[in-house]
Amino acid sequence: MRKLALIVRHEFRMATANKAFVILTVLGPFLILAVTVLPTFLANNPAAMSAGRPVAISSAVPGAAETLAESFKAMGVAVAFTDDPQAAKAAVLDGSSAGYVVVEAGWPDAGRALFYSKTGVDATMYASTQAILGAFARELRIGAAGIDPALVRGILADAPFEVLKIGPEGNEESKTQDDFMEALFVSLSFVMVLYMTVLLYGQMIGASVVREKTSKTVEVMLSSVTSRELMFGKIFGLGLAGLLQYGVWISVALALVKLVGPAFDIAVPASISPENLGWLLVFFLLAFFLYSSAYAALGAASEDEHHLGQLAWPLLMFLIVPLVMVTSFIMSPDSALATALSIFPMTAPLVMLIRVLVSDPPAWQLAISVAAVSASVIGMALLASKIFRTGILMTGKRARLGEILRWVSVK
Amino acid sequence: MLKVEQVVKTYETVRAVDGLSFEARPGEIFGLIGPNGAGKSTTIRMIMNIIAPDSGSIRFDGERLSESDKARIGYLPEERGLYKKAKVGESLEYLAALKGMRLQDARASIDAWLRRFGIADWRERKVSELSKGMGQKVQFIGAVAHKPSIVLFDEPFSGLDPVAQDELLAAMVELKAAGVTVLFSTHVMDHAEKICERILLVDRGREVLYGPLAEVKARHGRNAVQLEFDGDAAFVKDLPFVETVVAYPRWVEVELREGSEPDQLFRAVAGRLRVRRFEAVTPSLHKIFVRLVGRSPEETAGAGAGEALRA
Repeated sequence: MRKLALIVRHEFRMATANKAFVILTVLGPFLILAVTVLPTFLANNPAAMSAGRPVAISSAVPGAAETLAESFKAMGVAVAFTDDPQAAKAAVLDGSSAGYVVVEAGWPDAGRALFYSKTGVDATMYASTQAILGAFARELRIGAAGIDPALVRGILADAPFEVLKIGPEGNEESKTQDDFMEALFVSLSFVMVLYMTVLLYGQMIGASVVREKTSKTVEVMLSSVTSRELMFGKIFGLGLAGLLQYGVWISVALALVKLVGPAFDIAVPASISPENLGWLLVFFLLAFFLYSSAYAALGAASEDEHHLGQLAWPLLMFLIVPLVMVTSFIMSPDSALATALSIFPMTAPLVMLIRVLVSDPPAWQLAISVAAVSASVIGMALLASKIFRTGILMTGKRARLGEILRWVSVK
Repeated sequence: MLKVEQVVKTYETVRAVDGLSFEARPGEIFGLIGPNGAGKSTTIRMIMNIIAPDSGSIRFDGERLSESDKARIGYLPEERGLYKKAKVGESLEYLAALKGMRLQDARASIDAWLRRFGIADWRERKVSELSKGMGQKVQFIGAVAHKPSIVLFDEPFSGLDPVAQDELLAAMVELKAAGVTVLFSTHVMDHAEKICERILLVDRGREVLYGPLAEVKARHGRNAVQLEFDGDAAFVKDLPFVETVVAYPRWVEVELREGSEPDQLFRAVAGRLRVRRFEAVTPSLHKIFVRLVGRSPEETAGAGAGEALRA
């Protein structure tokens, strides 16, 4: 145990005392910040985009300027009427005006409506203008056809429709499309974090074992410790580094939810809850041990990192498949496929995490999933330590996966 | 004392080690000698308990080898085996700690060795910055800092300049004087000849020769002459009393047929070559190996073991 502890400490130090680790640990929270808080700050509505600058309006169609002004004001955008196209364009160009709208005589049937933009990409701004003018044009045409615009408005008005999510205690919660987008977004970020870290740490273990072989450190190490101590020392050392990293990220996320959010009155997505963060950590640890054991074995069996890349392909597939199907899992988290893959050990961490985030899988399924992965972790570790023992001393031969599996039976 | 008895190790179809037996004693430098692929590394790995022999036994002071014996062994691998990104001092402390040494003791021992090799300034430098020679010294310290009772040196001189070789050699002799069992493995016969007191010469996992070097040479010593000269010595190999010749442009080692005298050769070359040196010698280990095995030790011992397992 003392030797194992020494290896763990050494590997932990090697993993954490490098720039990449520090950068990733520090940048992680910014990523979390980006997906949680930033969207509310982003200028994706006209008011934020105009930032107090007026939109200049010049209209030859009666009522158009007034309708625009009224609607813009309702959105929180200032307007200014103008008769001087040159000055208005200059104002757009120098940025003092958020845009310049011209409605030509004869519009909407003969004349044009124009939006002068400085960048051409302020879509939110001109899309709003287009919508306002579009509605106004319909009213003009309806009026011209001799129909009462108020009647048409009444007929075309949206019919009420609500989505209610029934909570476990029978409470009802109103849901909108935005909530779906939010769930999609948060789930995607969680799954991406899990996928990236598991892959990253798995490959780090694999590469570290290959380096141990190619740098010939392995014989020196094995002259002091057993191959089992060496392998588990590496896995636990890196696992500890991963735990530290997740600790930092989760603390930042919790601080956002509990402190920063309420203090600055920022709506933090509800799915970033302590409970869900807890599940993220649980599934990270399970997936980490499962994949890092496998990677350690493959690393030991590899000649070099290139060879490792080839051998690790099947392993990678188990991580990629759930990722490709993530949207469908989010939309139907309790489908037969999702349920099956959330119990199959290799895909369970990713798929079950999605289900936990967007749905409410039965406790027994969660229990089976966690138990299945835990059992596989033990099985994989035993298998890996056998492959590791034979593979780590093997050089000069590019073994195939089949041969590698046969090493398990080497006495 | 290290006692290896009838050890056998088979990899799939290849017998890497086929019934080797030998003893290495405290205070002696024992040579484990043979071409690449002869089974040296496999034997060393079995002594270090990295792999288990299929049959046979390895004993330290009469006790069967166990995992706890690893603390008593020091190992210097042929190729550098240190974590490149780590600092020299850190790496050495780590290795000593794995051998069960307390940190203070390890530091004192490591510092003493670093000073002895004149590389104390390199303590805080990264391993990757070391030159080959310095790397080998650091690796050497890694093998001996924990004060082992047995040290295994695998090709310790490969790629080193003569000065570095002498430094390492002096350190090895010091260890021997301190009562350490020094096991020295090499395929370079010249090195073994200069350093080892007793040897085991192996080929394809089997013993070729075993015993004190002087005795081995005496046993296989026939009439041999080393000759340094100016001129063309091509005719020497055609002389009737000459058995074999190892020839270089200005130097030959000539083995005479049984019953012949060095004097006959002297008379044959006198006048035909300008003789610089003429010395009757026991044949070199290299020569003995060639005669017994039928090929030069620089050639590997055949495919199988060597390729698959660097045996």
